[in-house]
Amino acid sequence: MRASKGVRRWLWVGLLVAFMALAYVPPAVAQDGVPRTVTADDVNAIAQKLYCPVCENIPLDVCGTAACADWRDEIRQQLESGMTEQQIVDDFVRRFGDRVVGTPQDPALRALSLVTPYILIGVGLLLTLGVIWRLQHRKGNGAVPPSPDPADAGRSNSSYYEQLQKDLEGK
Amino acid sequence: MMDESLPVNETEAQPTSKRGGFGIGSLMLLAGVVVAAVVFGLALSRQGQTQPTNGAAPDFEFSTFDGQTMKLSSLLGKVVVINFWASWCGPCRDEAPELQNAWASYQDRGDVVFLGIAYADNGPKSLAYIDEFKITYLNAPDLGTRISELYNIQGVPETFVIDTTGRVAQFIYAGVTQEKLQTIIDPLLKG
Amino acid sequence: MLAEIGLVATLLAFFTSIYSIGASIYGERISRKEATVLSGRNAAILTFVLLLVAMMGLMGALLNQDYQVKYVWSVSSPDMPLFFRITALWGSQAGSLLFWSFLMSAFSAGATIINWRSHRRLMPYAIAYMMAVVAFFIGLTLFIENPFSRWWILPNNPVDSQVVDSAFIPSDSVAPGAVELASSANGLNPLLRHFGMAIHPPMLYLGFVGFVIPFAFAMGALASGDLSTNWIKASRRWALVAWLFLSLGLILGGRWAYDVLGWGGYWGWDPVENAAFLPWLMGTAFLHSVMIQEKRGMLKTWNMFLVIGSFSAVIFGTFATRSGLVESVHAFARSGIGTPMFLFWFSLTFISVGLILWRRNRGELKDDHRFTSILSRETLFVLNNFIFVALFIAVFWGSFGAPILSELLMKTNITLGKDYFMRVTPPLFAALYILMGIAPVSAWGVSSARRLGKAMIVPLVLTLLSLIPFYLTGVHTGGALVAYGIVLMAGWVAIFETYRAVVVRVQMQSENPLLALWSLLRRNPRRYGGYMIHLGITVIGIGVIGSTLFQMETQKTLAVGESLTIGGYSLRYDQLLKGQIAEDGRMMDIAEVTVIRDGQELAHLRPRRDFFPQTQGLNTMTISGAYSTVENDFYVLLVDWEPINQDAATFKVYINPLINLIWWGSFILILGTVFAMWPKELLPSRVRESALAGALVGKGA
Repeated sequence: MRASKGVRRWLWVGLLVAFMALAYVPPAVAQDGVPRTVTADDVNAIAQKLYCPVCENIPLDVCGTAACADWRDEIRQQLESGMTEQQIVDDFVRRFGDRVVGTPQDPALRALSLVTPYILIGVGLLLTLGVIWRLQHRKGNGAVPPSPDPADAGRSNSSYYEQLQKDLEGK
Repeated sequence: MMDESLPVNETEAQPTSKRGGFGIGSLMLLAGVVVAAVVFGLALSRQGQTQPTNGAAPDFEFSTFDGQTMKLSSLLGKVVVINFWASWCGPCRDEAPELQNAWASYQDRGDVVFLGIAYADNGPKSLAYIDEFKITYLNAPDLGTRISELYNIQGVPETFVIDTTGRVAQFIYAGVTQEKLQTIIDPLLKG
Repeated sequence: MLAEIGLVATLLAFFTSIYSIGASIYGERISRKEATVLSGRNAAILTFVLLLVAMMGLMGALLNQDYQVKYVWSVSSPDMPLFFRITALWGSQAGSLLFWSFLMSAFSAGATIINWRSHRRLMPYAIAYMMAVVAFFIGLTLFIENPFSRWWILPNNPVDSQVVDSAFIPSDSVAPGAVELASSANGLNPLLRHFGMAIHPPMLYLGFVGFVIPFAFAMGALASGDLSTNWIKASRRWALVAWLFLSLGLILGGRWAYDVLGWGGYWGWDPVENAAFLPWLMGTAFLHSVMIQEKRGMLKTWNMFLVIGSFSAVIFGTFATRSGLVESVHAFARSGIGTPMFLFWFSLTFISVGLILWRRNRGELKDDHRFTSILSRETLFVLNNFIFVALFIAVFWGSFGAPILSELLMKTNITLGKDYFMRVTPPLFAALYILMGIAPVSAWGVSSARRLGKAMIVPLVLTLLSLIPFYLTGVHTGGALVAYGIVLMAGWVAIFETYRAVVVRVQMQSENPLLALWSLLRRNPRRYGGYMIHLGITVIGIGVIGSTLFQMETQKTLAVGESLTIGGYSLRYDQLLKGQIAEDGRMMDIAEVTVIRDGQELAHLRPRRDFFPQTQGLNTMTISGAYSTVENDFYVLLVDWEPINQDAATFKVYINPLINLIWWGSFILILGTVFAMWPKELLPSRVRESALAGALVGKGA
């Protein structure tokens, strides 16, 4: 029983770590509570992480429509009112859905988006290693004596040259 | 490397055998191609979907700017005019007074509801817009753009008129006028 | 008149392509008559001639300003200069489909003529496959997106349906007045009025359609049962040609985005960009693994999958971007070609995969050799292929998989943007560069770790040395140095391997080094051209790392005479030229600014914003001003959403370090590819050798 408990604890720790890795966002600028002047650069820093909700795949910081100008203005107001970057992003997602961010904020969607390619790639890696292993270990007519290695012949120029000539002749 | 599940050793052992049929791996691969095609085919057909012009109006829940939450289906028995708009949209500004006037002409009857849905808009700007045109009918933001996706709108303004049985009676792609709305709504009320 | 000629020629091309399929297959398999097979071949060449006529017809209509032709009306207008009239040929869906069909038929005719003698057995099947694809695209132009359709007025119809467009003359119709047509013509999409847009689409299309040739040869091999390395020999050079054009198309597209879209960047991981990148990834994997099959007779099935995957990705990308399946700024307007293209993509992929598996299960795709060492070049190439496929998966998932599945299964609309791609792809690119640094020094068959290590000492030392300037110019973060190091290593290995070979030749044959390099390039063009490509990719990689990790940006509103500073530069707003009118009718607001560094005026730039009064929809453009040095680009935009006047204007400035290396590296890459694919057989070798030797000796002396 103790062992299985230990296993389970590690499982939880693992899940927690995985979740934290997924939920990781760069630390937001500390909130000082004092009204501050917000520069265009502050606005753009957030806007470039968002996409224009009504155009197609255009980051909000470079989108030229009137609607985008309004949204950037809104970000400015939100920053002035003391909201953090994460709060602003969350607010945009709440209002316009997960398509306004480059990676969804919704945990399930986020996991789906970020973990799936790694799973697929992992399966691909296993298959590849399997191929290499099989190709090495199966019997067959394959064992042609390996060609001398030009890289190994570095010290003796003549053997390197021979190998090079052979390569050049296309053998 | 997808072909790896094939029995390599078997083909290896009998190099001359011309056995027909497909192995499990091959069938899985072919099935994979078919599944991918089904997914893309479905996506393509969904993408081709346009605004509903008849049939039951998709139901949704909305929270108006002044805090009421209700469902479209709770308005059954009334004619509902749903207008998608945004404060940044020029044509919306042209039709806003027309909509408000139309609403004013039905307001006292009680069996017509006007509902404005602010599509991808900025909250304070929406309120300013409602103020500017002295709009008195229901107005709600489209949170998460769910409602506009449900109705497959392509832009704003777009207007749907829903009859007393909850079916889409008319879809209006471009701007509306008071007169046009009345010619659509009045027959629905007589029936 | 021109439109009629074009229409008839397209229709005839449709029939000749279909005839060519039938005659090739029937003649080769059933009647076994040489004459029939030959007529099939000639029909394939005739298809090209007819499509050339059709294309000239459309081009003529564009140049002639025949606005009754709906396509001409929708992509050009009387005030457009000649140059854009020509490029308008591929400015919109219908014209670009005809252009696409024409290019594909040109490739097909080229392969038919060049490879007919050497690959007689494969050719009828390959022709049938090529013509099937060509016929499909001609069918799309004829029946769904006809560029020769014209405007007609039906006076007897109700008022709101009097104007129709039809390829044939409707009864009781009259042609609309030329003046009204000309005055209402749309003009070319402003975004496409750029020099880059003139060459980017043709290059990209050439890259796309070029993959039809390797595909057709592979399918021809599967269908005919001639599964020797014949198809590889016939197709690898064509694959390289396609790859060259695709690379060029991608690079020019990046350059166009950088100059015109006003994002300060060249690659936005947009689904349409990715759709063009996907076949490139598959094609690159194929160009590598094809060497294993040639040298060692291995991975035969896998190569088939890669060739078919490349072409399937081309068709899928075309389908996805032209049908509106994904939304993007680059996408074409939605149209009716979605369903037929989808069905074509599916049947092509399904039949191809089925054919491979059928041949494989009959034991006809058996490998000749086995792997002998884990560090052999074969193994490294298999890993290389794995990484390319992994990149393919990651990019495909991000652009198509996740958005489509989430919409279908979870009913939410998501977009995976830069954020996703910058998390998932960098480790894979790093792995590719690492392999690029190891594989060239490994050997076929067997290598040992010791040998490998020994061969890499010099490049490693060179890499460390070349990191010093990066460190001295302010790159202090470990991650960035490692990234630069990995990329540099790949380049040094390519240089060092070439250098060693040159040195040996100089010693053994007492050639001068330049001649030695030349004869290496000439006698093993694929290897040394390949190293040059690796070098180009290295230079591009350095540019990408620099401009991605160290980009700076700022935005500020300036009054005339005021300055802003960024990264050691300052920018001064000098004056505004408002409402300038260009010859194509655009109105330009031009800001004149001065770039200053250390008190010195480096350049006067004129960032501007253009407004196209006649165009509907997207009608503004932000054209950057840039001051380029080796170190970086100083890139200024006149921000188009802020008001400007004589008193104040808002500027957005980017400092893009090392970005020019991307364009220079591209040049090296293209040069290397040209070497790698240059046919040896063009001239009798003796003539060539003596002529070249003479030329080079002359130069060297």
